[in-house]
Amino acid sequence: MLERKAKMWQKIAAAAVSFALLILIWQLAAMNPQFSQVMPGPFAVLQKFFVSFVEPIGKNVMLQHMLITLSRWAAGFIAATILGIALGLTMGWYRGFEAFMRPLFELVRPIPTLAWIPLVILWCGIGELAKYVLVFIGAFMSIVQNAYHGAKSVDRTIVNAARMLGCNDRQMFFTIVIPASVPAISAGLQIGVASAWSSVVAAELVRSSSGVGWIVVTGQQNNNMTQILVGILVIAVIGLLLALLIRRVEDVLCRWNKRGR
Amino acid sequence: MTAKKARGKKKKHSYIWLSVLSVVLFFFVWWLFTEGSLGTIKENVLPGPIKVFQTLIDKFSNKNPDGATMQVHLWASLKVTLTGYVIGCLVGIPLGILMGWYEKADMFVNPIFDFIRPIPGIAWTPLFILLFGIGMLPKVIVIALATFGPALVNAYTGIRQTKEVHIWVGQTFGASKGEILRKIAIPSSIPFILTGMRVGLGVAWSTIIGAEMLAATAGLGYLINLCRGIYRPDIIIASMICVGVIGAALGLVLTFLERQLMKGGRW
Repeated sequence: MLERKAKMWQKIAAAAVSFALLILIWQLAAMNPQFSQVMPGPFAVLQKFFVSFVEPIGKNVMLQHMLITLSRWAAGFIAATILGIALGLTMGWYRGFEAFMRPLFELVRPIPTLAWIPLVILWCGIGELAKYVLVFIGAFMSIVQNAYHGAKSVDRTIVNAARMLGCNDRQMFFTIVIPASVPAISAGLQIGVASAWSSVVAAELVRSSSGVGWIVVTGQQNNNMTQILVGILVIAVIGLLLALLIRRVEDVLCRWNKRGR
Repeated sequence: MTAKKARGKKKKHSYIWLSVLSVVLFFFVWWLFTEGSLGTIKENVLPGPIKVFQTLIDKFSNKNPDGATMQVHLWASLKVTLTGYVIGCLVGIPLGILMGWYEKADMFVNPIFDFIRPIPGIAWTPLFILLFGIGMLPKVIVIALATFGPALVNAYTGIRQTKEVHIWVGQTFGASKGEILRKIAIPSSIPFILTGMRVGLGVAWSTIIGAEMLAATAGLGYLINLCRGIYRPDIIIASMICVGVIGAALGLVLTFLERQLMKGGRW
């Protein structure tokens, strides 16, 4: 126990050292006027980051931009989670449904999410709906894929045991197939979070008037490197937090599975 | 037993018909509402399947409306993707191996990567455009960055998953630390490395399409985004089909490589 704690502190210290080193090198480079002309120093970026919470970029302050982007992410991701799990599980368990849906799914799957952006904008306009749809597409594919494989690979012994004990089809699906696919589903959700996050950022980069992606792209249009770096910093922090959140959810949902190992 | 088998076979047969039916139904419904008798959807919203197919064939010889044929765009995208991808793999995989093998390097370098990893490759695009203009270089860097993440993480995991027993065997037979790395850890992590390469290729192909929408003068992403502005969904869908086909083909090439390289099989 004590040893583990010491190891953890060691890790934290190492992380602090490497971040400090990175910032130091960056700052030293930024002191060179030729470098700082194209790239601001780390403290300038941090300062701009904090200032942007009170001083608006465009029409909104930073917190509003973050909330706008997060709401787009959440709307698309939640819809994709519900529909994706439902489709994936039914497709994985019912052979007839699989035979019908799988070809259609495979037809669409190879197209990367980002390639959908123009078509979705053409269909849904440049409003919020287009962003929801894009996030949905981004997350949906990986969630369906994983839920499908989860339902496909349910342990046959368990299925046969349940059947022998007189389990009907509905009970089989709800009490055997769904719980047994949870690890696979949560793996899908983790990939889904990342791809939904990348879709919302990309959608905002291509066409939008607010949000963190918009901050980055207007930074480019105004030749403002500080603003680009602030935007990227925010994207990194939120992306990291979302990934941690989902990992936490997985830990709670799959506790039984981890304990078994 | 044989009767059961025959029934199973017959059942499988009917499933295939169901699959065929679903695809046929899909194209029929699409056709019915666009070009067919129920054609209520306008062509500048969703063109029919026949129109899209004609556009797809035609685009390989027709330079309108963007001044280049499909194969020019295809090659432009592929060139950037493959260059960036190779660079990303060449940097990411060795670094992942090093981080997996040397715990000290891991402790210092990993936190920084954990921080950078959640940034989607596409988000870097404006930064590099500002630094290097809209030529090929910024896109190559963006693709390399996008590939780098999955390549590194999987190589790292692969090395970390080396079975301790194998290492002990190596030590018992007097292998040096370098030999254990070269002859045990790296070969046994090849399945992971290949997985990383496959994921990386998918991400790279998706990222280039996005990056070309932001800044390019050629390439599939550029073509798709341009046709949005001039309301030509037939070209958009035709290009999306090309993107999908090329993406799937690249994936197949890697699967083939995997089969060739991994004679020991997966474990």
